[in-house]
Amino acid sequence: MTRISRRLRKWTNEVLDLPQDVLLDLPRITLVGNQELTVENHQGVRHFSENKMILSLHQGALEIEGDELMIRAILPQEVMIEGIIRNIKYTGMGESS
Amino acid sequence: MKIPTLSGVRGCVQITVRGEGVNHLINALAEAGIPIWDIRPDSNNETADMKLLLRDFHALRPLLKRTGCRMHVTRRIGLPFRLVKLYKRKFFMAGIAAFFLLLFVLSSLVWNINVVGNEKLATEDILKAAKEEGVRPYQWIFRLKDPDKLSRALSLKLPDASWIGVERKGTTITIQVVEAEKPQKEPLASPRHLVSKSDAVITSIYAEQGRPLVQKNTRVKKGQVLISGILGDGEARSQVVVAKGEVKGLVWHEYQLEVPLVQKRKIYTGERKDKSYLVLGNRAIQLWGYGKEPFAKSETLTERDPLTWRSIALPIGWMTEKVMEVAETKETLQPEEAKKLGLEAAIRDILAKYGNDSQIISQKILHEKRENGKVYMKVLFEVEEKIAEELPIVQSQGE
Repeated sequence: MTRISRRLRKWTNEVLDLPQDVLLDLPRITLVGNQELTVENHQGVRHFSENKMILSLHQGALEIEGDELMIRAILPQEVMIEGIIRNIKYTGMGESS
Repeated sequence: MKIPTLSGVRGCVQITVRGEGVNHLINALAEAGIPIWDIRPDSNNETADMKLLLRDFHALRPLLKRTGCRMHVTRRIGLPFRLVKLYKRKFFMAGIAAFFLLLFVLSSLVWNINVVGNEKLATEDILKAAKEEGVRPYQWIFRLKDPDKLSRALSLKLPDASWIGVERKGTTITIQVVEAEKPQKEPLASPRHLVSKSDAVITSIYAEQGRPLVQKNTRVKKGQVLISGILGDGEARSQVVVAKGEVKGLVWHEYQLEVPLVQKRKIYTGERKDKSYLVLGNRAIQLWGYGKEPFAKSETLTERDPLTWRSIALPIGWMTEKVMEVAETKETLQPEEAKKLGLEAAIRDILAKYGNDSQIISQKILHEKRENGKVYMKVLFEVEEKIAEELPIVQSQGE
């Protein structure tokens, strides 16, 4: 994304009052207690184990730490993770948007 | 939930994937739009379990090759696998099929036919008529005609029924019959005269059929013809009919009455003792009600209750004896009361003997005396009663 297009998007976002995730490809994260996590707009699974999962995002990644983690279901845009979630962390976001 | 619907019916497999790039495989599957779910990494992070639809199983192979993973199937879930298993057990399948087939066949047979509502018509006749229309046990239900057609056909066959309804409920057919109300047939009567039952004076005569020979206030003798059954002069032109009619006359009855002045009466006091017996053949074994009878006077009522099997009495049964206490009371009557009682009894006797529509015109006590604690009376009743009696006309054969 060029700087101009990003600016334009941000501008339209402010003017039209649209949700951020629609225009900026940001993940929408829904957390139900510490047991269920739904991430929309992900870019794939980068790491996948019982205690740690790393989901690729458009920018950076989302680290999820916990116990007995599993992917309940996965779709191109959406992933649902179940287990005992202890920690959700953004990494490698680089420049803040 | 993003798990595909009806995965149990469509069939799904659980696979274990081994290899370095499990996450690549998951990404590739998600990218390809193949639904996978319940992805569970193994505790030592080398393998992962996941489930996918049977439909997508073949699409899995190139992706596995591309990501360098290997897999094996751990569980097969769902209907398609069960069907395959069933297919291997052919006889079992045949049994299931035979069961349902048999159930269907047996439930499409007529098993029972009930006939309801007939009193005069014999059930056998109705069943026979129904059988001619194809309604019989062990008949196919689909071969039966429509109930309204059946009921019409049956009505035609059974003219004594005014309406016949046929109803099928499951495997039972109910034939409802409403019988036609027919006037009662009069008993056939042979030609006859009406003659007098006793000596009397006619008070009224009404001939419905036949020729009246007497008039009101005529004195008749016993056996005299009142209404003749022969019309005409008794010669060649005459006709013989059944004489019908009503003749009333005054008749005198003499009664010798005796009424005791002391009346004895038995009254149940209501006290009772039950004895129960078990009956085996000709023997009865008393089970309950032992002990002396506490009543001075009593009457015993025995009830037998044998065990029956379809109207055959078995030699085993039950018998109860009810011992009921009786008290006797004596009542002394005044002579006037005794007379009244005697007359009432005589009138009851007259009404019973000569018909309820008899009327006592007068009563006269001819003689009365008291002797040995009894009242003796001789009473003459004048009663108006029906005096007609039938006498068949015997036609002489010789002429």
